[in-house]
Amino acid sequence: MNRKKTGILAIILALGAVLFLLPVALIFVTAFKPDSEIIHFQSLLPQTWTLENFREILGNPEEIPIFRWFSNSVFISCMVTALVLLVDSMAAYGLARLDLPGKKAAFFLILATLMIPGQILLVPVYLILNALGWLDTPWALIVPAGAGAFGVFLLHQFFLGIPRELEDAAVVDGCSRLGIYWRIILPLSKPALATLGIFVFLGSWNDFLGPLVFLDSVDKYTLPVGIALFQTSYFAEYGLTLAACVICTLPVVIVFLLLQRHIIEGISLTGLKG
Amino acid sequence: MLRIVRRFNRENPDVHVLMQRMDWVTYYNKLFVAGLGERAPEVFIVHAGNIERFMQADFIRPIDDLVIGPHGMDEKDFTENIWSAVEKEGRHYALPLDVHMLGMYYNKKLFREAGIVDERGEPRPPRTRREFMDALDQLTRDTDGDSEPDQWGFVYTWYRTNAYTIMRQWGGKFFTPDNQRCLLNCPENVEALEFCVDLIRKHKLVPPPENFDSWIGFRQGKVGIAFEGIYMLEDLKKQEDLEYGGAPLPLLGKIPAAWCDSHTICLQRDLEGKRLEAAWRFARYLSDNSLDWAEGGQVPVRKSLRDTKRFRQMRVQYEFAKQIPYVRYVPRIPFVFEFFSEYETAVEKALRGSLPPREALDIATENINGIIQRREQMQTTRGTSP
Amino acid sequence: MRKGKFLSRFSGYLFLLPYLSLFGTFLLLPVCYGLGLSFFRWEMLSLAPPRFIGFGNYMEAFRTPYFWMALGATFRFVIMIVPLVVIGALVVAAGINALPGRFQALFRAAYFFPTIISISVAGILWRWFFNTEFGLFNALSGLAGFKAPWITDVNWAMKSIVFMTLWWTLGGPMVILLAGLRQIPTQYREAAAIDGANALQRFFYITLPILRPVLLFVVVMSIIASFQVFGQTFMITRGGPELSTRVLMQYIYETAFTNYRIGFGAAMSWLLFLVIALFSFVQFRIIREG
Repeated sequence: MNRKKTGILAIILALGAVLFLLPVALIFVTAFKPDSEIIHFQSLLPQTWTLENFREILGNPEEIPIFRWFSNSVFISCMVTALVLLVDSMAAYGLARLDLPGKKAAFFLILATLMIPGQILLVPVYLILNALGWLDTPWALIVPAGAGAFGVFLLHQFFLGIPRELEDAAVVDGCSRLGIYWRIILPLSKPALATLGIFVFLGSWNDFLGPLVFLDSVDKYTLPVGIALFQTSYFAEYGLTLAACVICTLPVVIVFLLLQRHIIEGISLTGLKG
Repeated sequence: MLRIVRRFNRENPDVHVLMQRMDWVTYYNKLFVAGLGERAPEVFIVHAGNIERFMQADFIRPIDDLVIGPHGMDEKDFTENIWSAVEKEGRHYALPLDVHMLGMYYNKKLFREAGIVDERGEPRPPRTRREFMDALDQLTRDTDGDSEPDQWGFVYTWYRTNAYTIMRQWGGKFFTPDNQRCLLNCPENVEALEFCVDLIRKHKLVPPPENFDSWIGFRQGKVGIAFEGIYMLEDLKKQEDLEYGGAPLPLLGKIPAAWCDSHTICLQRDLEGKRLEAAWRFARYLSDNSLDWAEGGQVPVRKSLRDTKRFRQMRVQYEFAKQIPYVRYVPRIPFVFEFFSEYETAVEKALRGSLPPREALDIATENINGIIQRREQMQTTRGTSP
Repeated sequence: MRKGKFLSRFSGYLFLLPYLSLFGTFLLLPVCYGLGLSFFRWEMLSLAPPRFIGFGNYMEAFRTPYFWMALGATFRFVIMIVPLVVIGALVVAAGINALPGRFQALFRAAYFFPTIISISVAGILWRWFFNTEFGLFNALSGLAGFKAPWITDVNWAMKSIVFMTLWWTLGGPMVILLAGLRQIPTQYREAAAIDGANALQRFFYITLPILRPVLLFVVVMSIIASFQVFGQTFMITRGGPELSTRVLMQYIYETAFTNYRIGFGAAMSWLLFLVIALFSFVQFRIIREG
């Protein structure tokens, strides 16, 4: 595309991006306003920059063990991401490529579960976790997360898009199935895996209902649940809520920025014959 | 509350209380799911308005033996109507901690500017319907010349509490005494709702409702009067540039009334021995220290605590507490949420002008009677009232 | 050779084993429980024990106007949001993909950012935006002389929710489509360009067909997700005004967890599932064959 067209495109996209980011910027900026100023919504930027919202959240470790919650969240989200990436990619590979009878049925069954409203699972899963003795432990949040079909579906579709010739070449070279999976499919799927990783991490990090119902002790809580729980008023305490949001969101932003490099890498197939 | 708990833990080394708090919606759900897995806490707080279903589900332990016992309390220290709110078939199932009623918050600055003051130049909150309407007349103004009012005399906040109070003030009923039939569409309620609607549509003194988000307007200083619960005081304290006052609700109808609810302390049903003793000790401690609790925007239920100088200095709480003799709880039914869903929808439709009040209430009444019938059909041999 | 095939199949199943065991325990089992629940009358607010009533709950759903109202609200949401979000995401992804690689990261992050914000905060923010008397949007538009009843007018409310959802969820499909686009070897498009195809032709004849599986994923997931919409309406309008935005998920939630009518709630969940399955199946056929 020539320079001029690229330039125009960039400008249009930039305008859209600004509109998308404005509300987010608003959140970050408002977290630094004192509560009495927030309610008036007069100016977008704070007239008095204050850290009082952050201080109230961070400076109260007995009532708000925020670093505890933070490490719980990190542990759980990382474990969930690793579990899902591994387990789902294997299953997706099996369903997309391997010649297994009944795999079409299995695929549709798995897909169908995505359509089931999650609330209906809450009570039975609770009872199962109770029977396993996993309630009030991180495992209650990690293990069931591996059952989700989102990753299987996503990777299945991506694997379908990888040219078969690559695998055929590997088979000819004597590569085992596991080897194909590990050395060909996975590296080629970095964009998909990174994308899935972001979604899974995000979903686990922001998950509210799960930790709320399956965890009891305050020191086991994850970040979003912990922060929400110390709000007592009936309606929003804007300053605290937004400051909490900033604290909660920052790690995800970092993870996202780290992972997105891999999404950009496309495939270069210079070695392939036409 | 946490400070009180911490003090208790310090002063009672043989008992350790772990406190958790969360917003009410998630709290009740968690309590419910926990109860299923038999992991409910030993002591928990329930709104008096919700207590009926916990009673019926046999979830909580009556406390009469504890009240009379060695660490007991004086029953007469509780106001009649509050103590009977936790009573069923002669037994009391929870210890009321506080009562939070609806009251009138008013913006002192706007009142002074509008000239609604007494002889000393202090803002004069309205006490009768006449005074209320006059105040609204003077407070609802268009300040920036676009022929739309942007300062309002009054806004409706939470439909539930506002409408309930006004209907009670008109003498309206909600159920027959045995809770078997819904009377929501009785003439008094219709009249009361028509009054509310007229304020918006006929007199144009009140903006169309936005449910509890209208409270934002009061905090911004653009609203003269709002009816809200005493628990909103905490929210107002943060608004340093707002000069607010509290007062008993004006008598808009014929009978003084104000919506109220209470936080009550419940004990798990199967407690016994040492745990029971510890739990009761904690419950009593909370009750004895409810003045600390009141600072955050609550009113203690015990007369002895209200009679103190310390409480009198809590200006807004003190004013709101004047309504205690005539505060009204919501109807004691286990299906209270379903009831309110119908009720609030009807009120909303009327206030927005989608349906005339009579019709809206008729529909709601019909639906609620349907709910009662459904529940009756479900009772097998037990014969408990729905 | 048969033994080889058996071993090959067996090792193939091993790939599926870890996932399927988790799936079976934490999805299939609870789902069966949930299905069973729907055939019982179980209301925790009364002391009557759970009673088997066959399809009674389902019949009650069909007879209740509230069920149809809620389904209708969900429907209106889906019809509006899915085309908007898919096409929007595709356009943005294609646009970003056409930029030089260095800039892509920046733009992609910008459009994805809203998705990172949790619903509770996004909900609070937009509730303030939409407030008729005291909110931000009307404060801005008030300067131009009009105030919109964003979430107080029955005809506006759902559209406002869709608007907010577009902002909040565009990033997800966009990132996925972008990854899909990046997976298409540039050589294909360069070859087509050499052959004389212009940008639009290249897009429709080269890009789109290769993108089809990923596009199918995005469309189907959008449908599935939007049928289950709950957070936005719960946080911003609480189902109002006048229940016009009370989507089926909220009605189910209130039925099961607020009114404690577990059996009835379960039945409605299954009805919603059937609707979702039907729609997704149709989409599958259209996109796969078409």
